Amino acid sequence: MHSNKAADARRQRFDRQVGIYHQDMYRYAAWLSRDKTIAEDVVQEALLRAWKSLDALRDDSSAKQWLLTIVRRENARYFERKRLETVDIDNLTASQAALLAEQPDEALDEMRLAIYELEDDYREPLVLQVLMGFSTNEIAEQMGLKQGAVLTRLHRARAKLKDQMARS
Amino acid sequence: MNCEEYREAIATDPSFDGGAGHLNECAACQQYRSDMQALDQRISRALAIDVPELQVPELPELSTSKSDKVVALHRRQLAPQTWFAMAATVVVAALLGVRLVGTGIEYDSLADEILAHLDGEPNALRVTDVAITAKRLNAVVPADIALMDHSAGLITYAQTCPIGGRDVPHLVIQGERGPVTILLMPEEKISGPQRLSGDNVNGIILPVGNGSIAIIGERDERLDRIEESVLKSVVWST
Repeated sequence: MHSNKAADARRQRFDRQVGIYHQDMYRYAAWLSRDKTIAEDVVQEALLRAWKSLDALRDDSSAKQWLLTIVRRENARYFERKRLETVDIDNLTASQAALLAEQPDEALDEMRLAIYELEDDYREPLVLQVLMGFSTNEIAEQMGLKQGAVLTRLHRARAKLKDQMARS
Repeated sequence: MNCEEYREAIATDPSFDGGAGHLNECAACQQYRSDMQALDQRISRALAIDVPELQVPELPELSTSKSDKVVALHRRQLAPQTWFAMAATVVVAALLGVRLVGTGIEYDSLADEILAHLDGEPNALRVTDVAITAKRLNAVVPADIALMDHSAGLITYAQTCPIGGRDVPHLVIQGERGPVTILLMPEEKISGPQRLSGDNVNGIILPVGNGSIAIIGERDERLDRIEESVLKSVVWST
């Protein structure tokens, strides 16, 4: 009886955190992998891992960073397993192209393509800052970088996107 | 703050709200700020792709029973010199007006103490692919304790931690299923291997010379290869 209650409480806690952060997990996975199908796989693996190690999360206020860290690790594992080639923008699979599916807003399409083409090192800190609301300190911790490196990457990422938008 | 410094700050974070003095006097930077904020709004909209409906995978049942613990050693007795050190610490603390917390904790077994220690140090179990530096590893595992190379795996955490009344190296390497804890205990002699398991972890304490090494991973982590590589990578200095 007691263990059932504990199991229920654990499941409720899991559902609550995943309910709040599922969108962030998926979008982070999608922009890391640049592939919607891979993102779905990565999120599924990340959910399983999060479930198994939920007790390691002592403070729910850290849940977002904790879950995104798991997504990042699962994404790395996925690519280690599959040893995927780098993406050729002119030869995308349907799943990769789905991320760039045309929107009614042409300017949005252009920006999405420009972000898609950014190097991983620039795209990831940008996603963490703009989409996830991480501070540069938190990005540095997440990516295992010094804060100065994060600032440089964010600066360059925006400069590249600005140039790209000016050209298009 | 000049134009260059201001633009540097805005380009790394368009929500930057410092440099008001400069901004009020510089129309060009006002325009730059406005442009960067507009760019960021566009970036934000572009990043916010549609998200499919949440589908939670089938989650395995996890045992939460305390009876999972395989190891049940006798109540641990601290060595006389440890009691002396603790008593001395209390005296010094009392003289300095320091309030000690938790000095009375006694564990039933080495395994219990290790599991309790892991619970108290969740940061160690962060999933990461960033290795600690060799300098950090050498600081935590000095040559007078053990010689250790990097062949054990990707070492992502190293800290000196109190186990059994002694400071021992606490390392974390990344296993197949997540972080794996390694505790090097050169003076913790045990008579034979001891399995341990907690709510979601499994592990083993291996006798190594006059000491022991604990290796603890997630419940479904395969520890045999890690045990082998850790044992190959560590040589006691004493």
